[in-house]
Amino acid sequence: MNNYWLTLLGMTCITFTCRYLFFAKKLPFTLGVKTKRALAYTAPSVLTAMWVPIVFLSYQQIEKSFLDSPFLIAGLITIALSLKLKSTLSVVIISIAVFVALQLIYH
Amino acid sequence: MLGSLDTSKNTTHHENKQQLIYQATADILPLAIAVIPWGILCGSLAIQIGLSPIQAQLMSLLVFAGAAQLASLTLMGGAGALSSIFSSTFVISSRHLLYSAVFREHVQQSSFATRCCTAFFLTDEMFAVTCAYLEKYKSFSHLYAISAGITFYLVWNAATFIGITAGQFIPNIESLGLEFAIAATFIAIVIPAINSFSILMSVLASGISVLILSLMNNEHALIIATFIGMASGFFTASKDEEHE
Repeated sequence: MNNYWLTLLGMTCITFTCRYLFFAKKLPFTLGVKTKRALAYTAPSVLTAMWVPIVFLSYQQIEKSFLDSPFLIAGLITIALSLKLKSTLSVVIISIAVFVALQLIYH
Repeated sequence: MLGSLDTSKNTTHHENKQQLIYQATADILPLAIAVIPWGILCGSLAIQIGLSPIQAQLMSLLVFAGAAQLASLTLMGGAGALSSIFSSTFVISSRHLLYSAVFREHVQQSSFATRCCTAFFLTDEMFAVTCAYLEKYKSFSHLYAISAGITFYLVWNAATFIGITAGQFIPNIESLGLEFAIAATFIAIVIPAINSFSILMSVLASGISVLILSLMNNEHALIIATFIGMASGFFTASKDEEHE
């Protein structure tokens, strides 16, 4: 299907525009102090809005009860690890290993 | 090698560019490793759906947005209309508008090429490490941002390539729960960054609202929850004990 090329082109334009828009010099505005202060909460807010559904709602897709979900258990372990360990790499690797182990046990 | 987002051990400023590039690479490496499963999923899903290997690789080379790629591939697999693919891409990518707004004041005076380059490599992960750098050194570095971005780009595309070439040999790749790696990365970024009451409030508000909105099947859950989180942080900032 040739439509795929059009899809690729459109998606490239959309993602790049979203990333570039506020870098444009022509955009005639400066951010106020209040806006900047609100923007400081961007990273924690966005990233949380992305990980929370994976950890707490994935059980709906895998026909497990809420408490039995490997996503939930491994997610909570990741939270605990990230409070304990300094190294992001260790947190990421251990938590993925825990998740894989849980998946294998439950299958 | 154990690059951590917490760069507090390094107190000296960077004498040379190589050191900066090395630090950027080390900082983003854990996040890049965690994205490998997702890249493999994107590559193999693209092939399953019927994209040619070149199209599948170009998607990661040009679009370079994991969540948007995965969502659009799912829609393409279900023969979704072009308009619905584009609107889902926009909804998912709209968070990058915020990232771009955050960096605006630091980037605005740079050359067109530098701004394009920084924009192209602007992902969740690059944004997170660059923000951490910004907070630590109180200065924005294009070299740092772009180095981190390129490292991530290379790993993402290598993972996509593995998915394209080897994905067919991994059974039920969609049901392996590869998205957990993303959740783990974001948790590892967010939780250690909670160092004030207002950040805690923004995280709680964003998390609770995204749950409620998702359970209500609101398709704009991500962006609405983000704004609720940002507003909660903003309005509770006065309660923070003095720090910085």
